[in-house]
Amino acid sequence: MPPSKARRSGGDRALGLLARGSAVTILGLLVALLATLVTAGAPAAARFGASFLTETEWRPNTLERPRLDARGEVVITGGEVEIEEVPPRFGALPAIWGTAVSSGIALLIAVPLSLGAALFVVRIAPRLRVAGPLSFMIEFLAAIPSIAYGFWGLAVLTPWLQTVAYPAMERLAGGTWVAGWVFRTRLADGTEIPVGLTGKDMLCGGLVLAIMVIPIVTAVARDVLRSVPRGQLEGTLALGATWWQSSWGMMRYARAGLFGAVMLGLARAAGETMAVTMVIGNNMQVAASPLAPAQTMASLLANEFKEASDQLHQSALLLVALILLVMSLALNVTARSLVVGGSSRTAAAH
Amino acid sequence: MSTPGHTQGPASGDAAAAAPRAGYAIIEAIRRGEPVTGQTHEQVRDQPAVIRAADFSLWYGKSRALHAVSMPVPRHRVTALIGPSGCGKSTLIRCVNRMNDLVEGVRVSGRMELEGSDVYAPGTDVIGLRRRVGMVFQKPNPFPMSIFDNVVYPLRIHGQRSRSELAERAERALRGAALWDEVKDRLRQSALGLSGGQQQRLCIARAIAADPEVLLMDEPCSALDPVSTLRVEELIQRVSERYTVLIVTHNMQQASRVSHFTAFMYLGRLVEYGPTAEIFQNPRLPETEQYVSGRFG
Repeated sequence: MPPSKARRSGGDRALGLLARGSAVTILGLLVALLATLVTAGAPAAARFGASFLTETEWRPNTLERPRLDARGEVVITGGEVEIEEVPPRFGALPAIWGTAVSSGIALLIAVPLSLGAALFVVRIAPRLRVAGPLSFMIEFLAAIPSIAYGFWGLAVLTPWLQTVAYPAMERLAGGTWVAGWVFRTRLADGTEIPVGLTGKDMLCGGLVLAIMVIPIVTAVARDVLRSVPRGQLEGTLALGATWWQSSWGMMRYARAGLFGAVMLGLARAAGETMAVTMVIGNNMQVAASPLAPAQTMASLLANEFKEASDQLHQSALLLVALILLVMSLALNVTARSLVVGGSSRTAAAH
Repeated sequence: MSTPGHTQGPASGDAAAAAPRAGYAIIEAIRRGEPVTGQTHEQVRDQPAVIRAADFSLWYGKSRALHAVSMPVPRHRVTALIGPSGCGKSTLIRCVNRMNDLVEGVRVSGRMELEGSDVYAPGTDVIGLRRRVGMVFQKPNPFPMSIFDNVVYPLRIHGQRSRSELAERAERALRGAALWDEVKDRLRQSALGLSGGQQQRLCIARAIAADPEVLLMDEPCSALDPVSTLRVEELIQRVSERYTVLIVTHNMQQASRVSHFTAFMYLGRLVEYGPTAEIFQNPRLPETEQYVSGRFG
């Protein structure tokens, strides 16, 4: 064998090993991350079990309070009020609720806008010769660091909501059930109080998130709609479909991929940390009103992790991180299989 | 290419190169870039026309795809458009229902009449036009929904809601497309599960479900196997009893089997147009004779 060939095959082997090694390393990182979170979250999981997901109390401190007897009287022993210690409790439901509501609001706003924008880019923009610049802008929006969105939310959106939008909404809602739902909240003991309108709440978080997920949902929806075979669009138009009817036909054809686009948006909204932490109000409670301050899983971690000195507190936070990771993973996997699977199904059918 | 002045048409290069070199007045004239008047037999002109192209030209941006085509399309007959690739057959039929509107930078001149009115006149109701002119495409394009929903799609988008009416018209259209017996027990199943030939007949059923006046077919059998092709061809003859059919085909045997009239196009011009038997057995122009005998194109 000539030496040059031997060298080349040696180089090939080295590169092959390098590539394989890189792939394994990346996978290994994910596995290591999962393993770390599982190990670290185990104490909290063992302590609280499934109630971790359903309990609303998140209290990292030990509580000291007078012990009460069966009749509800303070127990006095030797002339002194007996004190009992209530250990910390961790229930993640408020963070899960806050994540769900703020992401839900974000999707409610972002999905129609994104689908409309994607349809515009695919069907109208080429004719106006603005498809290129528009696509660039959309991708550019996705590249803006999230802290910028958060700062805009804090500096602009929050004061505007508090001073302009909410008073107007309150006047509009008047005494209807909407006012009861949005502007009143019930305390644990059943008394009803007005929601403190700070402008930092789930609605504000949802609005900022909506702006952040629009670019990604639009970009993916655009690619999915572009991959709809021409015969589908022409088929509907040739039968006399209007612009909307033919667009609806395209969306119907691409529905799996579009659903995937929405899932990707949801994954981004649920995992977004910085911007949400700045505008959500950071209050661990389960409130029906979208104008109540709340906490998302990500903002909870951002807020508490550096101050969590207690082992159980840390473990509980890492368990929240594990839930968030598994959820994002599931959303992403579903989304990708829908987007990719959707287009391969397209290719198979035509 | 030795002759300047003719650079039109995306595929004109190959087609012209394959054409005979001398003795063909029309091809020589086309090469010199001169206007050409096609030979239209009087048997065609005697027929009542549903569609009539008059001096119709079309440009894709700067390149000209159709050169002053004038041709009537007889009522309740099958008219075939033949010619080498890039000769403008598909472009021409896609003007009848204005599908070319989808293509950027398309410009037309002359008239394209349906029942006497110009479909390119300003203010034309394009959606209404497409309801009157059905179209079947090269590749079967069933929608991702049930067989039934496919067939009644044109009825639904025009506001027909009555279940019994939809069911009745679906059956009639599927019978009309010779598909009823094969699918009547699985109307609710996805149309994507049908074979290619069945899908194409479903597309024909869908195109006739709304009772159009004209049926355009753009190489409807090119993606089908021989058996499916035969069935679709039988179908084309059947539907011509009720509809005017204008079909583009690459396959000259197909044109001779299914059509009453045949138009031979070359480089965006109508060259010869007459009864199918005449075109294939006794063409008037040497160019047509060359093409139908398979010596070029």
